[in-house]
Amino acid sequence: MFGSNMLFYLFSIFLVISALMVVFSQHPVFSLLFLVASFIFSAFLLFMLECELLALLFIVVYVGAIAILFLFAVMMLESKLNNLSKNSMKYVPVGFVFSFFLLTPLLREISIHFENNYDRNSFYLNTYQNWYDLIDSISDVEVYGQVLYSYYVLQFLISGLILLLTLVGVVYLTNTFATQQTTDQSLFKQLSRNSKLSFKE
Amino acid sequence: MKKKLALGLPSLVALHSFTLFPEYFLSISIIYVLIVIVLITYNIYGLMLQKALSESMALILIMASYLIFNDDLLVLNFSNFNNSIVNDYFAFFTKILICLFSALYFLIVANSLKEQKLTSFEYLLIILFAVLGLLLMCSSNDLLTAYLAIELSSLAFYILASFRKISSYSVESGIKYFVTGAVSSAFFLLGSSFIYGLTGSINFSDFHDLFECSSMYFHPHDLFFDSGDLKTYELWKTIQIMMLLDIGQFPILAELFNYSFVEFGLTLVLFSLFIKLSLAPFHLWSLDVYEGAPTSSTFFFAVITKLSVFVLLIRLCYQSFFSLKSCWQFYSLWIGIFSIFVGSFGGLKQRRLKTLLAYSSTSHMGYALIAFSTSTFIGIQMLLFYMFIYMISGLCVWYVMLLLRLKKKNFENKYNKELSDLALLKKSNAALAFSLSLTMFSIAGIPPLVGFLAKMSVFLSVVGISFYFIALASILCSVVSTFYYIRIIKVLYFENLLVGKLYYPIKTTKTIILSVLILSLVFFFLNPTILYLVNYKAILYLL
Repeated sequence: MFGSNMLFYLFSIFLVISALMVVFSQHPVFSLLFLVASFIFSAFLLFMLECELLALLFIVVYVGAIAILFLFAVMMLESKLNNLSKNSMKYVPVGFVFSFFLLTPLLREISIHFENNYDRNSFYLNTYQNWYDLIDSISDVEVYGQVLYSYYVLQFLISGLILLLTLVGVVYLTNTFATQQTTDQSLFKQLSRNSKLSFKE
Repeated sequence: MKKKLALGLPSLVALHSFTLFPEYFLSISIIYVLIVIVLITYNIYGLMLQKALSESMALILIMASYLIFNDDLLVLNFSNFNNSIVNDYFAFFTKILICLFSALYFLIVANSLKEQKLTSFEYLLIILFAVLGLLLMCSSNDLLTAYLAIELSSLAFYILASFRKISSYSVESGIKYFVTGAVSSAFFLLGSSFIYGLTGSINFSDFHDLFECSSMYFHPHDLFFDSGDLKTYELWKTIQIMMLLDIGQFPILAELFNYSFVEFGLTLVLFSLFIKLSLAPFHLWSLDVYEGAPTSSTFFFAVITKLSVFVLLIRLCYQSFFSLKSCWQFYSLWIGIFSIFVGSFGGLKQRRLKTLLAYSSTSHMGYALIAFSTSTFIGIQMLLFYMFIYMISGLCVWYVMLLLRLKKKNFENKYNKELSDLALLKKSNAALAFSLSLTMFSIAGIPPLVGFLAKMSVFLSVVGISFYFIALASILCSVVSTFYYIRIIKVLYFENLLVGKLYYPIKTTKTIILSVLILSLVFFFLNPTILYLVNYKAILYLL
């Protein structure tokens, strides 16, 4: 049990480090890879808290789809990202001011409303065995499925409609019907591209 | 066997499937239109079908509004999807309004889509998606459904804004709209997660039970009658009546519970909705988006989308979080005043018509928000009245904007007009100039037109809860804003020019809707009681 407590801290430290590296790393591809790493570490944390569905969603949706999509987008847009790192320091003070004004009331409210738990230093040790769970239990994923399909059918249908809408919109916006050919990548340009992004002018 | 079948059928068509009958109808017809159009190879017959398709969309919406109208709400009040949908007269009234106005919009746009070179069928389909989202937003009763409805409609808006792919302005406006919309929905989700974290529920009626009950559902009837203390009971009754008559004056027992965390979440949700309404500190996206997007899309953003956000605001603030009045009243009052100020003074130096109308819409949303912030029964009634008038006059203005097409070789598609383009319109098309000037008078609030009543009722509702300073400031700002409305009329009629711009002539069939709308501006001034009564009935559920 102490080991799992240690694991929890280890993963959360890794998570924080990789989240910081997302912001501070100079190379956009590296920062995206750190983003993927932070998603994976948070998925580990969620696995340890027995939220399997959320952990799987993090890996499948965020790591599998969104982050990889971003990675491709960043690799395609390489030439325009050169000046990004220079300008980013310009916005740091403004960002600090806004985050200060957002975070201080938030932390104050949380400290008022959610009192400190005295067992927080050993929260992972304090698990007790619920015997009913051993006899009659369904997994987290199954519970979510049952609630989703019985109570939230309507919301499920609406999200299906949203997907249909985005499909129609994306097909229209990305296709060029006039020339009757889809947007194509030029093979020569693709192959002659090197892995390093040039930060020189 | 036979009996079993008879039992089986009613359970198959359960009552709750009729809860959202018009929305079901709309979504099924969207999918039907999509399939049919794909089958008939729109690329070949597209131009022929464009107008017919748009008119059939209008027919779909009119049929949907008939479905809403046909319902007498006897049973549907109690049937809902796990309490996530509410069916009352308020939702029904606003849904009918949105359906009818967007049907009118489709009829108006039907002629001009070809002239704007927006010939692909996806345009109409995406607008229908947006209308579906707006309808769902009107009747949503929990934060999740509201969020999904907002997403459905605003994703449609992003696509509509960037629909003209060859114009970089349109693409830019689409991306700007997308980024601000993403920030707004992030705020919404953050706020609703705070609310969920504290209350453990996302349902509006649960919030009502949690926060409102302590003061309203206290039944002293048993207490007082047992002791025979009739005097205290009378006192309690008068207090209750005072609360019903004038909710604004009564101090609600807010000290029982520390509301500050819920207030924090509610404020974030409110800010996200204010971004959607393009109110003053959050209005900067609307100027560029309105200018850059294709004119018919801007027409839709400016006129039809605003009402349902207000419905959601009323459900949030009046129904579920009424006891947090001090919080949302503060924000909505000051943001309302500020957006009236910005809308009236920002438009003064503006020479581009669409940006001018964006500023005007910001100030109008400010007036509506002030009426909303009064937290009285009359305030919401006047809010609905104001929104109705806003939509009618918006339809008039934007229809004229669509009808005016410059007769020039190079700028054949130019719909973005400057003020000087309108010079001497009275010479080339006197009727159109007259209708535009009448609409401008109505928006500015000059007496023989209904805009005067709308503005006056808002100011009266603010005076009714004795916010005299607010009323005075907004009246002064509205005086300033009349300057740019009247300046349009001055450009139309009294410009000292010998040469004006030439416009394409307009067919008489196109002007029927416009003349009906202009007449309604006069008619509702002479007979506003119909609107007042209908709004009164729609609002009654709040009591």
